[in-house]
Amino acid sequence: MLKGSRKERFIWLDIMLTLMTLELIAYFYYGVRALVLGGVCLVFCTAGDIISVRLMHRRFTADDLTCTSDALILALMLPAVMDLRIAAIAGLFAVIIAKNVFGGRSNMIFSPAAAAYVFISTSWEKQLLSYPEPHVKTGIFDTPEDLVYSASHFFNISGKMSHNDFEILLGNFSGPCGAVSILLLVVAAVILLLRRDISGGAFTGVISGTVLFAFLTPAAYSRYDSVRYTLVCNMVLFASVYIVADKRIAPERFFYAFFYGFFVGIFSYVIVLTTAEENAIIPVSLLFTPVALGLRNLERKIEFAYAEDTDKDSGSDAEQPDEADEKAAEYAPVSEEVLTEVHADGDTFIQEESDPDE
Amino acid sequence: MNDTRTVFDGITRDNTVLSALMVISPVIVCGNTLKNAVAMIYAFSAITFFSVMISSFVPKRLPYAVKITIYAVISSLIYIPVRLLAQEFYPDSISRIGIYYPLLAVNSLIVFQTEAKFFRMKKLRMTASLFFYIAGFDIVMLITGIVREFLAYGTINSRMTDFDTLISGLAEPFGGFIFLGLFCGIYRRIRSAVMQSRDIRSDGNVSDK
Repeated sequence: MLKGSRKERFIWLDIMLTLMTLELIAYFYYGVRALVLGGVCLVFCTAGDIISVRLMHRRFTADDLTCTSDALILALMLPAVMDLRIAAIAGLFAVIIAKNVFGGRSNMIFSPAAAAYVFISTSWEKQLLSYPEPHVKTGIFDTPEDLVYSASHFFNISGKMSHNDFEILLGNFSGPCGAVSILLLVVAAVILLLRRDISGGAFTGVISGTVLFAFLTPAAYSRYDSVRYTLVCNMVLFASVYIVADKRIAPERFFYAFFYGFFVGIFSYVIVLTTAEENAIIPVSLLFTPVALGLRNLERKIEFAYAEDTDKDSGSDAEQPDEADEKAAEYAPVSEEVLTEVHADGDTFIQEESDPDE
Repeated sequence: MNDTRTVFDGITRDNTVLSALMVISPVIVCGNTLKNAVAMIYAFSAITFFSVMISSFVPKRLPYAVKITIYAVISSLIYIPVRLLAQEFYPDSISRIGIYYPLLAVNSLIVFQTEAKFFRMKKLRMTASLFFYIAGFDIVMLITGIVREFLAYGTINSRMTDFDTLISGLAEPFGGFIFLGLFCGIYRRIRSAVMQSRDIRSDGNVSDK
């Protein structure tokens, strides 16, 4: 358990580092307002988490600080000029309703940030999808002016993008403040994949599903443009790193995680292609969380079945019956312990198991 | 824990909506404004009260299935004048509420709780208990209507307030689910705290009665 907690904290630290880098770039493009937005999300998510954890008669520990990464993910999905009150409400919604009501850190059903994003989109869609141009800096309490649609919006409607590759890589186009820095997102994805902080299967699945369908049924005039622009628009890269490939939600094994991500990629692409719905990957990833949960349960059942078969095989060797009974008695408490741990805390089991990606 | 059931349980300890989670769909779907809430309260109260009272005269020796059918027929008959009056009092709300209005005629308080709870009591106690069960629903509906209207539209009974951070999603059914879920959580939390303090007090009582 100690090893598992340490691993969880390292994952959180790595993710926080990449998110803070994205936040820094957002500051570069949109000024101090982007930082304040991140700060508001951080403060309200942490406060909401502390209060709800206390209401559940639990102590707020260092492990509960994972709510801060959810806060930053949420902040980076919003326009830099988002109303701070809305950001605060979304932060509270993320940790209280999408996370702690369903059991908290040890029983994550949804990505809190994704749930909060969808919640905002139901009530403040206009504000959510109106972005400032890059390098237009708004004061902390100023009312934003000259807001524009995102580049994703124009791509979804026309299949074109009026930005060159260099601008796209640097994130010099309108969109959510943290989800457009493509080069940085690629670097973050590589780092997090190499350090096994995100689910490699889910990430590869999303990218594969999106690329495959963007190639087969192009949204742009050429297949190359379709693949290229589909990956950089609609927060596909950002969501595939921080939401779909979130290890707390994605299935453990590469094979299962791949197909989970693959279908998220395909469905979100189809929705974008048919309805021009912006950032469809976020609601789709939320809708697919039951699939991820189902796959995780299936993995556990397979593990148990495999463990039971192994026990039976070892017990039915050419040993005397008495010896077999002794061995069974020797192993029985261990398997009961494992079972108890799994029921008490799903994470424990996963952490104690060998890494399936290896 | 000492079992001290009272006629007020329908409001406090055994609230129709918050505790038993009965008749939640009208609260979730229709409880988004005060006007809708009042229209629902009127219909629910009238239909449930008169249906249960009249149904209490149905002979008890009839088979269960027959009795349930008779209760449904009685409440459907009561629904007709209630609906006609509602069209006079709440013409706008009726059209907005739609199918949930006639569905009140077969709500679970009439169909299930009659046999399980009310008809096991004496007439006078049953009347009082039924009144408070209905009041329990009415209070929840009223609070839900006021809060959701305020947060979603920034109005109270269609009068503007200066609240400008509107959460329009709360007016939708999914917002109703979230709101009712939180409401249930708060209610159960308060109820368990009250019960706990009552238990502590009763445990500390060393008198011989």
